Amino acid sequence: MAVLTILSVILVRNLKVEKPGKIQLALESFIGFLNDFFVDTIGKDGKPYVPYLISVALYIGAANLIGLFGFKPPTKDLNVTAALALMSLVLIYYSGLRKKGPKRFLLGFAEPMPIIAPINIMEIAIRPVSLCMRLFGNVIGAFVIMELLKMLMPAVLPVPFSLYFDIFDGLIQTYVFVFLTSLFMKEQME
Amino acid sequence: MLNLGWSLVWTIVNLIIFYFLMKHFLVGPILGILEKRKNLIAQELENAKAAQEKAEELKGHYEGALAGAKEESVQIIEAARADAKNESERMVKEANAEAAKIIENAKATAEQERKNALLGAKSEIAGLAVEAARKLLSEGSTEKGNSMLYDEFLAKAGDGNDTDIH
Repeated sequence: MAVLTILSVILVRNLKVEKPGKIQLALESFIGFLNDFFVDTIGKDGKPYVPYLISVALYIGAANLIGLFGFKPPTKDLNVTAALALMSLVLIYYSGLRKKGPKRFLLGFAEPMPIIAPINIMEIAIRPVSLCMRLFGNVIGAFVIMELLKMLMPAVLPVPFSLYFDIFDGLIQTYVFVFLTSLFMKEQME
Repeated sequence: MLNLGWSLVWTIVNLIIFYFLMKHFLVGPILGILEKRKNLIAQELENAKAAQEKAEELKGHYEGALAGAKEESVQIIEAARADAKNESERMVKEANAEAAKIIENAKATAEQERKNALLGAKSEIAGLAVEAARKLLSEGSTEKGNSMLYDEFLAKAGDGNDTDIH
């Protein structure tokens, strides 16, 4: 986190409106891509939440990729994924509550018909658990396999697997986590 | 490994701090820049549009002025032509009138002249007749005298002394 923050501070220092440099262009297209992606998913009403989603995407992405450098990914700890999922949960229902007001928010559980209200209420618990467990399971699985492979053959063998488990899987899980969060938020705000 | 502990809370706290840091240092400025650029581009487009509209308006204005000037010049030429025509007609008329007057004058003068000449001739003839009568009375009437008188009269009032040229 400190590294990311320092990097951000350094990179963002010399931003200009006209004639951006190469670094600024890269940064802009990267953040612009994330921003567009979230705005597309969540809709215009969700704009205030986009910075949070970008932060979480950066955090999970960095946490998953850190395994490349031999660190232990923080997301392999259930506490971290649970924390992320809890915050998503809070954000999902907070966004709905703020958009619709308390009464319509509560009535929203009885949609599309009252009989499935119990399912909707169970979703409150199911959604964060599934988010948390998916991320946790993927990362711990990748981590365990990588450790086993490193024990088996430390030099060449881990490279292709590392490409898959650390980079591909890590980024996919990041994408899935933030995408689902924004999707749920949009659903709540409708 | 599957137990939740205090570190969950710390992670949440850290995440919130991380969120604010990111928002303040990374996402905020960059989105701000993007927004500013968007506004700038929109403004420039707006300016360009306004300038073009103004140019179109000016063009229309000038074209109108040009057409007006053309029309005006045509009118002026038309008016000048009409003026010139009137003038020439008037001059021709005047000249004709003048000529007619001159001719009239000349005619009148000639008539007067002729009348004068006639009058002169008449008085001369009368004088001659009176003279002849006196001579006849004083000399007596003879055949010879009569014929001589007659000849003399003819010689004085004949063609050689005719002043009326017709």
